[in-house]
Amino acid sequence: MSPKDYAHPEALVSTEWVAAHLDEPSVRIVESNEDVLLYDTGHLPGAVHIDWRADLQDQTVRDYISPAEFAAVCSRNGIGPETTCIFYGDKSNWWACYALWVFRLFGHQNVKIMNGGRDKWVAEGRPLTREKPHYAPVDYPVPSVRRDAEIRAFYEDAKKHSDAQLPLIDVRSPGEFRGEITHMPEYPQEGVLRGGHVPGARSVPWKAAVNDDGTFKSREELEKIYTQGCGLAPHTDIVAYCRIGERSSHTWFVLTYLLGYDKVRNYDGSWTEWGNRVRAPIATGE
Amino acid sequence: MSYPPKLQQIIDLFEHLPEEEKRETLIAYADQAAAQAPREGETFSLEDVRKDEECTDTVGVFLSVDPDRKVRFRITLGPQVQTLTRAMTAILCKGFEGASIEEVMEVPADFVPKIVGAQLVRQRSQTVYYILTRMKSACKVWLNRERAAA
Repeated sequence: MSPKDYAHPEALVSTEWVAAHLDEPSVRIVESNEDVLLYDTGHLPGAVHIDWRADLQDQTVRDYISPAEFAAVCSRNGIGPETTCIFYGDKSNWWACYALWVFRLFGHQNVKIMNGGRDKWVAEGRPLTREKPHYAPVDYPVPSVRRDAEIRAFYEDAKKHSDAQLPLIDVRSPGEFRGEITHMPEYPQEGVLRGGHVPGARSVPWKAAVNDDGTFKSREELEKIYTQGCGLAPHTDIVAYCRIGERSSHTWFVLTYLLGYDKVRNYDGSWTEWGNRVRAPIATGE
Repeated sequence: MSYPPKLQQIIDLFEHLPEEEKRETLIAYADQAAAQAPREGETFSLEDVRKDEECTDTVGVFLSVDPDRKVRFRITLGPQVQTLTRAMTAILCKGFEGASIEEVMEVPADFVPKIVGAQLVRQRSQTVYYILTRMKSACKVWLNRERAAA
């Protein structure tokens, strides 16, 4: 099956395509990682670094930066409103999808993911550099709105979904879903009081959507998982969540761009909010 | 609380570095992590190679204790271990050179933010503490064995 069979094939580019467009002025390559120093150890030539925490999150309120701050982030990275941003990173593109989702919150239109992420680029022996690029600041108009209502869910939204038994997709590992562990496998406990899941949520780990090399599965395979397997449809009102919103950004990308579902929201408060919240009900087990 | 002298030197170095240089120095230490692996012909008092549920890859801790109770650590890291953790591996192997096993056991973890900086010690980079925990764990096992043999 060709990548063009995805609902929005333009949202995905290959490592080959990126290698051929590194010097394209209308393109900005953006690395976003979990490993906070990984970019400094080497990155794609010309790539800028956007840090999920320092650049995209407000530093005093658990929320994202303001539209004015977003415009400043773009400006200092040489990103204009028409620039095509190609996101890539570690962890099968978790944080690349997260950064892309935040860019979409502010209405940035031209966004793409490099399929397979950083690991695929490295595995193919493509070049990395430690030289940090310097781009002239670009005028980026301050977005008039942040599209929270369209692609972001809050606790109240997730609670309504739970109460109404609407589709809630828990993309964490099965052990986290069942409440057997309160952290991701391979990670330390990150501050959550209770294990379990949002009542009514369905477990579809993010990893179901990717191949062993971190590339996305074909549309046919994705439809088997989400359309046939979960009964989701293109216009279904869907809320996805994980722990802090990065793995669910990955699933949000899959559902929105690869399958073309048009009403998907990412609950970025996720389990670190729900699992700690006073009076929030939880479910455990399958 | 005082730190082993070589670790104190490293802490002093980092505490006076501006943020950008701190990052560059951490990368330089991370680059040295592979050199902390056991060398051919070395033997150890204790070897502990495992992949814990809370770490991204396998970490091997190799401890030797000389007759004066001075320690020498060698560490192996799987490829998925984060850069900060690799940096801390090289820092601790160097910082504990010449320290006694009791000194290692007593080292408080509060030096980590002094080296890494508050900006980098945050959610999803907490494994920076993991190597210290594993090194202390190896020391504890060694001490328990010593007591049991006495």
